[in-house]
Amino acid sequence: MNKLRVERVSKMFGGLQALKNVSLETGGEILGLIGPNGAGKTTLFNVISGFLPPTEGAVYYNGHSLHRFRPHQIVRLGIARTFQIVKPFGDLSVLDNVLTGCGMPVYPSWRAFFRRYHTPLTEKAADEILELTDLSAWRDVPASSLPIGLQRRLEIARALATRPDLLLLDEPAAGLTSHEAEALAQLVRRLHQQGKSIIVIEHNMAFAMGLCERIVVLAQGEIIAVGPPEEIQNNEQVINVYLGRSK
Amino acid sequence: MSGYLMSVAVFVGIWVTLALSLNILTGYAGQVSLGHAAFFGIGAYTSAVLAVRYGQPFGVDFLAAILVTGLAGTVLGLPSLRVRHDFLVLATMGVNFVVVAVFKYVDFFGGAMGLVNIPAPEFFGTTFRGGVPYLLLVWGYVVVVWLVSWYISKTWVGLAFHTIRLDEDAAAAVGVSSARFKIYAFGISAALAGGAGSLYAHFIGSVFPDTFVFVESIAILSMIVFGGVGTLRGPIIGAIILKAAPELLRFVQDYRFTIYGALLVLMMLFQPMGLIGEGSWLWRNLTALFRRPAASQQPQQEVAQ
Amino acid sequence: MPILQNLSNALVLASTYILMAMGLTMVYGVLKILHIAHAAVYTVGAFVGLLAYTWLGNFWLALLLAMVAAGVMGVLIYRGVYFYMLDKPRTVPLIASIGLFVMFTDLLQKDFLMGPYQRALPVAGAGMPRLRTEWFSITPKQMLVLAVTVMLLVIVYLILTRTRIGLGWKAAAMDREMAGAVGVNLNRVVAMNFFLGSALAGAAGVLVGVYNNSVFATMGDLPSYKAFIIIVLGGMGSLPGVIVASILLAVVENFLVASVGYVLPRDAVAFLVLILMLMFRPHGLLGQE
Ligand SMILES: Nc1ncnc2c1ncn2[C@@H]1O[C@H](COP(=O)(O)OP(=O)(O)OP(=O)(O)O)[C@@H](O)[C@H]1O
Ligand SMILES: [Mg+2]
Repeated sequence: MNKLRVERVSKMFGGLQALKNVSLETGGEILGLIGPNGAGKTTLFNVISGFLPPTEGAVYYNGHSLHRFRPHQIVRLGIARTFQIVKPFGDLSVLDNVLTGCGMPVYPSWRAFFRRYHTPLTEKAADEILELTDLSAWRDVPASSLPIGLQRRLEIARALATRPDLLLLDEPAAGLTSHEAEALAQLVRRLHQQGKSIIVIEHNMAFAMGLCERIVVLAQGEIIAVGPPEEIQNNEQVINVYLGRSK
Repeated sequence: MSGYLMSVAVFVGIWVTLALSLNILTGYAGQVSLGHAAFFGIGAYTSAVLAVRYGQPFGVDFLAAILVTGLAGTVLGLPSLRVRHDFLVLATMGVNFVVVAVFKYVDFFGGAMGLVNIPAPEFFGTTFRGGVPYLLLVWGYVVVVWLVSWYISKTWVGLAFHTIRLDEDAAAAVGVSSARFKIYAFGISAALAGGAGSLYAHFIGSVFPDTFVFVESIAILSMIVFGGVGTLRGPIIGAIILKAAPELLRFVQDYRFTIYGALLVLMMLFQPMGLIGEGSWLWRNLTALFRRPAASQQPQQEVAQ
Repeated sequence: MPILQNLSNALVLASTYILMAMGLTMVYGVLKILHIAHAAVYTVGAFVGLLAYTWLGNFWLALLLAMVAAGVMGVLIYRGVYFYMLDKPRTVPLIASIGLFVMFTDLLQKDFLMGPYQRALPVAGAGMPRLRTEWFSITPKQMLVLAVTVMLLVIVYLILTRTRIGLGWKAAAMDREMAGAVGVNLNRVVAMNFFLGSALAGAAGVLVGVYNNSVFATMGDLPSYKAFIIIVLGGMGSLPGVIVASILLAVVENFLVASVGYVLPRDAVAFLVLILMLMFRPHGLLGQE
C-alpha cells in the first residue's frame, strides 16, 4: 500500500507562508520534489514526518491521519527521512548509527532495558545495510570523522535501517560528484524495486529528471506543476521560476 | 584502618555512587543537572523519616528511599520535557532550592534542625555503625551502581540516551521518544542517588537540609566532569579525587575549595574532556602504555641481543 | 499606608536585583554563558568598596573604585578563561564558571582577605535626604540605592545607544558570527561588555553592603541565583526585561512576606516561579517565540 496523501496543507511561520494549500498523492513511485531555494520543500518534509504541525490541512498515510503523531511515532509507521543538513550521531561509530535505526523503532520503551544492542543478530542486520549503502569500509569509525558525502550516505543508511515503506530524502545528492550521484541514483532505484516509495528533494535538475517517474514543482509554497519529467522540462511556468532565480 | 580513614572511605563510596548516578543523566542522556543533591536529599530524608518516625528497619528504608527518589526524579524531571540546555540547568537548580526549602520549613522533616537519632542498620540482630561491615555495604552499593551503569551502556536504553544527547531531531528520526527516555534517565539517576542518600543517613545518624544544597549539586557535577563525563571510569576517579584529596591532604584542608575551584578551571581550559575522559591526554597515554608491550615486544628483544 | 511602603521597599530591593542581573544578562546575551562567577564579582565589588571606604572615607570614591575593580575582574575572567571556551560544548564554560565561583568565594573567606565574618560598611546616606510622607518614608540609605541605580541605568542606556561599543554589542547579541563578519571588533565589544556588566555588579555589591551595613564573603550567593531567575523572567538576554522582572520579583517577594509571612521562604517562592516560568513561558514575560 504505502499511500501518502497530503491534503490542502498550509504552513505559516509568523507572517511567512511557507506552504500554501499543498495537495499531493504518492505511493509506489519515485517522486521528485523540486523548486528554488525557500520554496518550502524541506518544510513539506517536516510536516509529513511530524516535525512541524501544519497550520491547515492534514497528511494521511494509508488512510490514517497523521495528525497528532509525533516524529518518533511516524517512523514506526514506516515513514523515514533524512535531513538536508545532515545530523549523524557524531560520537557514535557508523555501525552504531545504523544500529539506532535498526533497534530504536523496535524497542521504543521499557523493553529497551532488556536487550543488548551489540549482538551477532543486530550487527548482521546493520552490516547488511552498510553493505547496501557501500559503507562497510567505514563501519567502525566515528561518524563525525566521515567527509560530508559519506555522512549523507550514512544518513540514508540510518533511515533505511528503520525499515521504512516510504523514504523521504532531502537533497541526498548535494555536494556529490557525478560519479557518486550516479551510484546514489542506482541505490534509490534498487530500493524502489524492493517496493519502497520514495520522495526525493533535488536541486540538480538533470539528476531529478533521470531518476524520478513523476515530479512536483514547488515555488513559494505552492505547487505549480506536477507531471512526468519531460512535461516538467517543457513547462513554461517552471522554466520561468528557474530562470527567474538563476544567477 | 583507623576510624577516620574508614569514614573517609565510606564518604568516598557514597559520593562515587552519586557521581555515577548523575553520569547516567548527564553523561549518557546529556541532561546537565545542577540539582542532583536534591535527589540525594530526598533519599536521605525518606530513610530518616521512615526510621525515626515509623521505626522501620534499614532494609525497608533503603528500598523505600530508592523507590521514592526514583518517583520524585520522574516527576521533577518533567520540566526537562519542555526546557533544554541552559534553561534545564536553571530549572534543576530551582528544583534543588525548592526541595531544600521544603526540608527546612516543613516541620514533619524536622526543620532546620533536621532529623536525628537515625538508628544504625541492623542485620540478624547485630547493629553496625561504621566499621568494616558498613564500608563493605557502601562499596557493595558502588559495585551495584557501576553494574547498572555498565548494563545500561550495553542495552538499547543506553543507545537511546546517546541519541538524545547527540541530537534530539535525529533521535526522533530513528524512532526515539526523547521525552520518554529523558524521564527514564531522570528516574534511574534519581533512584540510584536515593540509595546513596539512605546509606548516608544511616551512616551519619542524622540529616540536615544544609547537606543537600545547590553547592553540593555543583560538587557532584564537577566530579563527573573532572573525571570524564559519560565514561564508566571518569566519575569514579573524579569522585575519589575531589572527595578524598581534601580530606586526606591536611595541608590542603584550609584551601580545599580554592584548589578545587582552580582545578576545575584548569581542567576546563586544558582538558575539557576530563582527566581520563575519552581522548584526554592521560587516557591516551595510559591506553598506549598498556598496548605497547604486546606491539613492541619484538624490537625490544632484538635490542637485548 | 503599608502598601505604598511595601512598594517603595520593593523598589529598593529591585534596584539591587537590576544591577546584579544586568551584567549577567549582558554576558548571556553575547556569549550564551551562564556566568555563575558573577556572584564573586559582586562580592569582590562589595569588598573593594569596604576597603576603599575605610581608607578614604568617601562613599562616591569607594563606589567608583569598587566598580573599576569589579570591571577589571570581569574582563580578566573573560580574557583568561571564557575566551578559550567559546567554541567548546556549553558545559565547559559552565563548569569553569562554577570553578571560578567556588575558588573566589573560598579565597575571600581567608583571613588575609575578608575572613569568615560580616563586616560593617557604615555609610549613613552620603548626604541623601530623607523623604517622609503620610503614607511612606524613604530613608537616606534607600534614597542612595535608588539614586545610584537610576544614575547607572542612565549611563548604561547612553553607552548602549550612543556609542560604537553599544551598537557593536547589540549586533553581537543578535548574531556573534555575523557581527564579526561585518567588522565589529568582537573581542573589544565582549571585553567592554564584561567590564560594564561586572562594574554594575560591583556597584550592586557596594549598595547592598551599605544598605544592610554588612559585607561578607558569601553575600553573593543568593543574589546571583536570584539574578538567574530574573534573566529568565526577563527573557534571557533582554535588558528592559531585566528591569521589569526585577521590579516584579521584588514586589511579589515583598508582598508575600508582608501578607503571608514565612510559609515557605521567599527564596523558594522565587525558584518555584522560575520553574513554572521555564515550563510555561520559556521566553520570558515580555519575550516572544
Ligand atoms: N522553522 C522555521 N521558522 C521560520 N521560518 C522557516 C522555518 N523553516 C523554514 N522557514 C522558512 O520557510 C521558507 C521555506 O523553507 P524551506 O526550508 O522549506 O525551503 P526549501 O525549499 O527546503 O529550500 P532549500 O532549497 O534552500 O532547502 C523559507 O523562507 C524559510 O526561511
Ligand atoms: Mg530545504
